[in-house]
Amino acid sequence: MATETDHGPGEAVAARIERRWATLSIVIVALLVGMAAVIGIHRATMPQARVETADPKTLHLSGEFIESNLGSAVEPDGSVTVRAIGQQYSFTPQCIVVPAETPITIRATSADVVHGFLIEGTNINTMLVPGYVSDLPVRFSAPGEHVMPCQEFCGIGHQGMWGKVKVVDRTAFLNMTAAKRRLTCAD
Amino acid sequence: MSDRPLFSPRNPWFSISVGVTAGIAVLSAIVGLVWLPLVQPNVKFSGLWDAICSAAGVPRAAVRDASLKPEFKTSGVVMTPQMLAGADQVSIGRGATLAQRCAICHGPQGVSDANSPNLAGQFAAVTYKELNDFKSGARASVVMVPFAAAMSDRDMKDVAAYYAYLPRVPSNNLDVGRPAPAIVVTGAPMRNIPPCGSCHGDIDNKAGSPWLGGQSAVYIKAQLEAFASGTRRNDISEQMRNIARQMTAEEIDQAAHFYEAQP
Ligand SMILES: [Cu+2]
Repeated sequence: MATETDHGPGEAVAARIERRWATLSIVIVALLVGMAAVIGIHRATMPQARVETADPKTLHLSGEFIESNLGSAVEPDGSVTVRAIGQQYSFTPQCIVVPAETPITIRATSADVVHGFLIEGTNINTMLVPGYVSDLPVRFSAPGEHVMPCQEFCGIGHQGMWGKVKVVDRTAFLNMTAAKRRLTCAD
Repeated sequence: MSDRPLFSPRNPWFSISVGVTAGIAVLSAIVGLVWLPLVQPNVKFSGLWDAICSAAGVPRAAVRDASLKPEFKTSGVVMTPQMLAGADQVSIGRGATLAQRCAICHGPQGVSDANSPNLAGQFAAVTYKELNDFKSGARASVVMVPFAAAMSDRDMKDVAAYYAYLPRVPSNNLDVGRPAPAIVVTGAPMRNIPPCGSCHGDIDNKAGSPWLGGQSAVYIKAQLEAFASGTRRNDISEQMRNIARQMTAEEIDQAAHFYEAQP
């Protein structure tokens, strides 16, 4: 017991240093959590809100990825949903047409292996993983044409897997929807 | 100091550090599992539990049904790389009997000079898929549809196994010295045309893509043109239409004549 009083001042110094280190580490953790929250809210990263599955072998039989349902569709709220698939070695639709200045939801998946979905000149870049639906909200500010190369090695013909995205004026797009309910610019 | 227990709620260092750690964990969980999902602008959650499950990554099937049904018949065959591998002798023997009625156009050995496809050595998945598509109406043919209509699933598998078992016979147009055109070797990447061999077996085989060597040029050309114009649509999710419609008439001609001269 006599030794305790001898170590008195030493113990106080150790406690102070411990407290500072603890505070520092709490601040670092809080900062990291805060950063994750800020980029999540401001959508600097685009984490997908839901994990949705779709059987890659039967995409063409039923569900939203059947051939006739692929392409751009106008929703009742005025937004546009684009459905697409990646397969060895093309995207369907091969050419995606969308209006400028309109909220767009891209829903895409793969029918075989992992493909990449990247639209040049934008920050749209995701993977198409067989079994899962990639769902991303996007908006194009101006009309123009973009190339859409597959950016995940997907097999021996990978380098030939290029799609296209055509952004057109909103009124021009709506005029096109009068004739067809699913729009593409392929053929 | 040394006689006081370290892991005890009475030790203030222990209770405070555990308390703070738990507090941060709870706070982060609320931020990540509740707050962040709820501020996503384009997702509607049915409740708090739905938001938490979604943020935690609980998978669920994409339930949305196609709102637009096809106005033509599409292929209903499920293709996998392993399908119809390893046929047994019984199946091949049964297929040989059934294939007698095919000989008139496709030749007794699966090879003929008529402009119908040579089937000897064809991948079993290909013969099986096309027979199915003729039966379902996904692929049109005045000649083939009535034959396929009478076949059971087992019949189609057996015939496919038999033709896959027959050895490939070089056609009369064999010319291995013929130089391969660029469209076959490299395709045209910027037009979404990969090399033919990346699916058709020369380099790799995508289930359902036929072996093209020794096929009649007239037949290959007619099919490419049908894919390009959209009169043939039984390729699953437009996998061949996408490519054929980007090819020029000259490229179609070159590819057709090249493959006719191959073994
Ligand atoms: Cu790819």
